[in-house]
Amino acid sequence: MIQVDNLSKTFTDPKRGTHHAVDRVSFEVRTGEVFGLLGPNGAGKTTTLRMLATLLKPSSGTATLNGFDIVKEPGKVREQIGFLSGDMGLYGRLTPRESLQFFAQLNGMDSARASRRIGELLAMFDMNSFADVRGDKLSTGMKQKTAVARALLHDPPVLILDEPTSGLDVASGLAIEAAVLAAKKAGKCVLYSSHVMEEAEYLCDRIGVISNGKLTTIGTMEELRAATGKQRLREIFLDLLGLAA
Amino acid sequence: MRFSIVKAIFQREMLDVARDRRALISMVAVPLIVFPLLISLMTRIIPRMQEKSEQDAKSASIAVRIATPSLRQALERSGLKLVEPEDLKGAVTGKSASAAVEETAGSPPAVHIYVDNSNQTSSATGDRIRELLTELKDREVREGLSASGINPRVLTPFTVTRSNIASDRKMSGAAWGSMLGYVLLLLMFQGGMYPVIDMTAGEKERKTMESLLASPVHRSEIALGKTLAATVAILATATLTLGSLVVSVKNGASQVRGAKSEEFQQVMGTIPLDAHTLVLLALTVLPMAIFAASVMFAIALFARSSKEAQTYLLPLMFVVIFPALLGGLPGLETTPALYLIPIFNASQIIHGVLLGDVSMVNYGITLAANLAYAGLAFFLATRMFQDERVLFRS
Repeated sequence: MIQVDNLSKTFTDPKRGTHHAVDRVSFEVRTGEVFGLLGPNGAGKTTTLRMLATLLKPSSGTATLNGFDIVKEPGKVREQIGFLSGDMGLYGRLTPRESLQFFAQLNGMDSARASRRIGELLAMFDMNSFADVRGDKLSTGMKQKTAVARALLHDPPVLILDEPTSGLDVASGLAIEAAVLAAKKAGKCVLYSSHVMEEAEYLCDRIGVISNGKLTTIGTMEELRAATGKQRLREIFLDLLGLAA
Repeated sequence: MRFSIVKAIFQREMLDVARDRRALISMVAVPLIVFPLLISLMTRIIPRMQEKSEQDAKSASIAVRIATPSLRQALERSGLKLVEPEDLKGAVTGKSASAAVEETAGSPPAVHIYVDNSNQTSSATGDRIRELLTELKDREVREGLSASGINPRVLTPFTVTRSNIASDRKMSGAAWGSMLGYVLLLLMFQGGMYPVIDMTAGEKERKTMESLLASPVHRSEIALGKTLAATVAILATATLTLGSLVVSVKNGASQVRGAKSEEFQQVMGTIPLDAHTLVLLALTVLPMAIFAASVMFAIALFARSSKEAQTYLLPLMFVVIFPALLGGLPGLETTPALYLIPIFNASQIIHGVLLGDVSMVNYGITLAANLAYAGLAFFLATRMFQDERVLFRS
């Protein structure tokens, strides 16, 4: 479970002054739930996700992931999560198999378990044809699949996925979606961010809309439809941001 | 701190370096191919140029304004071609003559030799003329004394000889010691620069740093794994380059010709590298390698891109050159306190070790000081690795 409590992040730049990237955001993600975090570019989604992944320290507030505090026990938090951000690259001189083996070691997986799990993921995402090709030779879609596999590698109870289907074709995107639904079914906690509204509408149990650092709305699709009078998530989203035609 | 994690990170970094074409070129190809090629060309071309200049000097044209017949005859008999232009110096600068000789009246008459030292042939011709005129002068002095009934032996009341009692090892140690310490330390910083940039700013640029930071490893484990890999890369580059340099110079020494070539070949053809020397050198170099890796690591980590990291690290080379060079100077008077200065101390110690004349007190001070500096630099690098303003600086 993810419990976020008044999480804030302020950046200070000598030229630009103070910027509240995330402003007292609070929400929770339950076990076996996919929570969608949506917002325009610069809204604070990535900063929020990075704080939950303990890459950034909050300016105030806190969060717990499976009972571990992101400020007091960052190491324990990172053991609980599989994190995928749009800003995460692949090692160009390693093959996907080698990258996964490396991260299996970092996650403390023994070689037998690592080998088994890597085999499962390569099959799940249809990666066997390029598993032994160097990262710098892979297409965007192949790299993204490897990055998703890396997030799922150690079978973490919490998944934080920032635009996981970015750059993927329809067939590959379906494999990711299937993996997210399987994670949900297995009782994992999934925090999902995407610009693809149809995907969010399909996968997410609840959706939070963030804009200018503030979480303005949280609800199920039904609740959002009732609140806005719109049907499609794209229209609901634009309406909530005040951008509807 | 988990050794298995540090080992995994270290191994990944080493695999990355081994597969990086640019790193392999700078760490392996350049030392093993470029240096031997360069030195081989130099040791073959330069002696040939010297020989050619000396040959040309034997039959060169010289511009003269000489009144004394014996002077003129001495020059003519030697095979030099004499010409008499109006402007002697102009003839040399214009290259219509290799050198010029002018006799000015006086008691005794003065002979001036004009040469262009920027031109090897002119310089060699001037040396030849000086040699001839000195022989002539000595002969005329002896003849004059004999004519006066004085035995020319009065000119040589006693003979003076000079013998070098330093052992061959000490001589070669002095020659190599003045050069090797400086070269080794510079190579360590220069050779390690690319791998360190690639492991820090390069990873930030390629966006692979974040995935590492999001994994359940301690920042200090990442810093240690990377620093160890950088240290190994630095040592490998330095060893390969140095080995290549030593072999090239030794082989090239046999090509050197000229008056002092035998002495040069004896000095440069051997290098004092017995087991004891190697152990002392290794213990000196190791803390410096860790220090170099950690300092460059901390600086490069601050950069947003590889190019920016290079900009920050290049001035470090200038900071390293001066103390490294100073430390290799022979006969430098030092106090124990000076051995607290990093880089300088290592250069001095390397010089002393190769010379076979190093104070174990100064050696101990150097080792302890550099270990402390290496530890401090590593601590700083690890602290920077925990600062999100550095890691996510954009």
